[in-house]
Amino acid sequence: MSTIDRREFLKLVGAGSVGTGAGFMLAEAIKHPLEHLIPYSIPPEEFSAGIDTWYNSVCGMCPAGCGISVRTREGRAKKIEGNPSHPVNQGRLCALGQAGLQVLYNPDRLTAPMLQKGERGSDTFLQTTWEEVLSSVAERLVVSRNRTDSIYFLSQGVRGHLAKLFELFMGGLDSDNLWHYDFDHPHSLYAANDRLFGEQQLPYYDIRNSRYLLSFGADYLNSWLSPVHHSLGFGHSRQGGDGPRGRFVQIEPKMSISGAAADEWIPARPGSEGILAMGIGHQLLAKGRYTAVDADDWSAALKDYSAASVAERTGVPAETVVRLADEFSRSQAGLAIGGSSAGNHTNGVDTLVAVNMLNYLVGNIGKAGGVVFNPDPVSGPTQSRQANYRALEDLVENARNKRIDVLIINNTNPVFTLPKSTGFTEALASIPLIVSLSSFMDETTVMADIILPSHTYLESWGDDIPQPGVGFSVAAVSQPVVSPLYNTRATGDIILDLAGRVGLRETMPWSSMEEYLRDGWREIHARSETDGENFDAFWRDVLRSGVWGENTRREGSVVINKRVIDNLGVAEPEFAGSEKEYPFMLHPFMTNAMHDGRGANLPWMQELPEPMTSIVYGSWVEMNPATAKAMGLHDGDMVTVSSAFGSIEAALVVFPAIMPDVVAMPIGQGHSALGRYARNRGTNPLQILAPMTDSASGSLATNATRVSLVATGRRSDTVRTGGMARQLGRDIVQSTGGDATAAEHSSALNSIPIVVEST
Amino acid sequence: MSVSIIHTLRVLRPAATIVLVTLLGLIAGFYANAAFFPGTQPEQPINFSHRIHAGDNEIPCMYCHIQARRSISAGVPSVNKCMGCHNEIAVDRPQIRLLANYWDAKEPIPWVKVHDLPDFVHFTHKRHIAAGIECQTCHGPVEKMDVVSREAPLKMGLCLACHRKNEVEHGTDCWTCHK
Repeated sequence: MSTIDRREFLKLVGAGSVGTGAGFMLAEAIKHPLEHLIPYSIPPEEFSAGIDTWYNSVCGMCPAGCGISVRTREGRAKKIEGNPSHPVNQGRLCALGQAGLQVLYNPDRLTAPMLQKGERGSDTFLQTTWEEVLSSVAERLVVSRNRTDSIYFLSQGVRGHLAKLFELFMGGLDSDNLWHYDFDHPHSLYAANDRLFGEQQLPYYDIRNSRYLLSFGADYLNSWLSPVHHSLGFGHSRQGGDGPRGRFVQIEPKMSISGAAADEWIPARPGSEGILAMGIGHQLLAKGRYTAVDADDWSAALKDYSAASVAERTGVPAETVVRLADEFSRSQAGLAIGGSSAGNHTNGVDTLVAVNMLNYLVGNIGKAGGVVFNPDPVSGPTQSRQANYRALEDLVENARNKRIDVLIINNTNPVFTLPKSTGFTEALASIPLIVSLSSFMDETTVMADIILPSHTYLESWGDDIPQPGVGFSVAAVSQPVVSPLYNTRATGDIILDLAGRVGLRETMPWSSMEEYLRDGWREIHARSETDGENFDAFWRDVLRSGVWGENTRREGSVVINKRVIDNLGVAEPEFAGSEKEYPFMLHPFMTNAMHDGRGANLPWMQELPEPMTSIVYGSWVEMNPATAKAMGLHDGDMVTVSSAFGSIEAALVVFPAIMPDVVAMPIGQGHSALGRYARNRGTNPLQILAPMTDSASGSLATNATRVSLVATGRRSDTVRTGGMARQLGRDIVQSTGGDATAAEHSSALNSIPIVVEST
Repeated sequence: MSVSIIHTLRVLRPAATIVLVTLLGLIAGFYANAAFFPGTQPEQPINFSHRIHAGDNEIPCMYCHIQARRSISAGVPSVNKCMGCHNEIAVDRPQIRLLANYWDAKEPIPWVKVHDLPDFVHFTHKRHIAAGIECQTCHGPVEKMDVVSREAPLKMGLCLACHRKNEVEHGTDCWTCHK
């Protein structure tokens, strides 16, 4: 019989206690955590726990202005879809639009008003109260308004009532320096339409009913103007109609996603697209396809653009020019559109005038499948406030000369989208006060002294008149779909609050953006056929459907002035940098996911493969395989891309559908701010652009910079979801190759056998 | 020379005893927690009695849990709803005063969940009500309880047993509940 001594006993007691305690804690740990059931005090009218509520609103992710329907549950936004009633997107929505939720719930959102405490740009902000920031901004505005035009307001492009509110505010502050700035604003297209047709607004390009689409550079399925609407139209043109399948030809130096969808992709020398359009026009006249009274004027204007001379200047074979003209004029409803890279050269306006001219020459103005002019917008200012590059240069100049006291920036990021050579960032140093209204700490907001954090579009009231319109009057209301998540305020409410503080109550008597909007929509109610419906009922209906429309189309034909015809002509494009020193033309391109860089802080957009290369995250340079071979470069080599204005590094991607003397880079990465997902990823090609402008529109010629490429000796493989582009005889994609070259090309690719190693 | 295993065991005995006692303690502690602190009857911010409301006064379940027949969650009544009656009824009782305090402050009552399923289970009240299942089947005789306690274990076995017994179509498919 064994005995237990004191020491042994204590050991056992200790072991037992530890065991019991551990067992108790274990049971506690695997218990279901206590949850609460929190009822509302007074439930909102539409609220039912567990049941979806959908709100119609307007997408704020790009300037297209699609309608959205947002699914909310228990007061939280869960999913964004397209609003089926909205004529722009008809229930569809692009990837960027769907990622709007990641704007709302982004962990890097600005959550409270802030003051810069350290040196400007040092990102040492201290949170404070709305009262403090608003009163100090108001104080400075009151002082500065005595000096005419010393207050600058640089906003993202806004339309409808918010635009009108900005006008009232800046008018009250005695300053005419109200500017909208969107990197992708198609200045050249506006100028071209104005010159040729006398139109201040963009027309509606009826891709849907067109049966032959000739696109000069316009990446209309991905980034040009209104890609969701264009995609719908393209789908219908291809498969939706009763008639023949629409044919589509894309002319551009690097194949875009639109080019990949085309029946025929024609690379023309960068900047020579307008010359090609003139050449096609010449053929139309020469073949007698245009027979109106002023045919002789046109013939004279186009006489220098014979097929042979155009072939020499564009690199497109003469017979192709003749064939395109033939197909374009013979096909019923042929439509020519131009934009993106073609409009971003020093001859951009001339180019787009030439492209629009083709529609006129085949009599396709105001017809289905052609160019349809839009009615005037139902609300908002008619004067365009879009700042072209020249206006921004003026801003820089004025800042340097101490003519700007206060710069208010609203949700636009010129520090990121303007080339370094503009000197914008440096000029900010000469402005005494910079105020930023933004939801994120972007590159421009970092430079601010005072940050007024604004609601995202999913938390704000507003309205929108889509640009370009769809051929008839449309207006849409944007309503908050969730309660504000943070201590932020709607841009409109901030402006109204400031207006009250600087003594503008008389001209801006509204207490909130919502009230102002309702007030403004009374005008639209007055012009609507409502069958005696009162305003409240009308407003409820508009909020429910999210959109208002009027079935009015503009009638009348266009006559083009002889002076315009006589002055037709497309000059050779100019490039910054000598061909010897900088052998490549840089082709920066926008993607749907990144847009002008605003998509970079959204993980979904970072993970979305760029459609042509299937690359996710990061930046790259695309180069023709023949050029890469000649230079001894391989896919994945890190190269330094240098212009006369700076250099950046990126990985090389060998891409077959690009001209040998062109290199392409995607826009949108290379952020130094904008939150954890965007920062320090890739490079920003816009930074090294030369300050080349199109003199006719004053816009930045983003495609007019020459660059050189030098291997760094390092390698960095891009991250891709796709494998290789070749089929290796597997017949995964089968083509019926219309013409002999396509068939040959396809068979050449398919004849590469898969090598199976035998053991 | 042979090595006796008895000798080895004798040497190990003190250590083995300690391990054994620790394990016994572990089991005892585990079950003591489950027995004395089951968590099936959590304390609530107000001593609301289902017996008085649903039992004595025969108020139907779905008078207050109004969402049950049309939503995945049964919903807990808003303070507004409570006050609909208690503006008039039993206003001077201490527990009703508590309720009135919440109402005056326009604050919600932080009820503690008694019946809770893990987030990976997709359960919908709507379909079960539509199939004619009594609330009591899962929630127990709530109309007899002064303080609601969880009577059914709410584990997968319970769901499956019922789905099998009633021959529910796709009732035993994984994706019916785990989606």
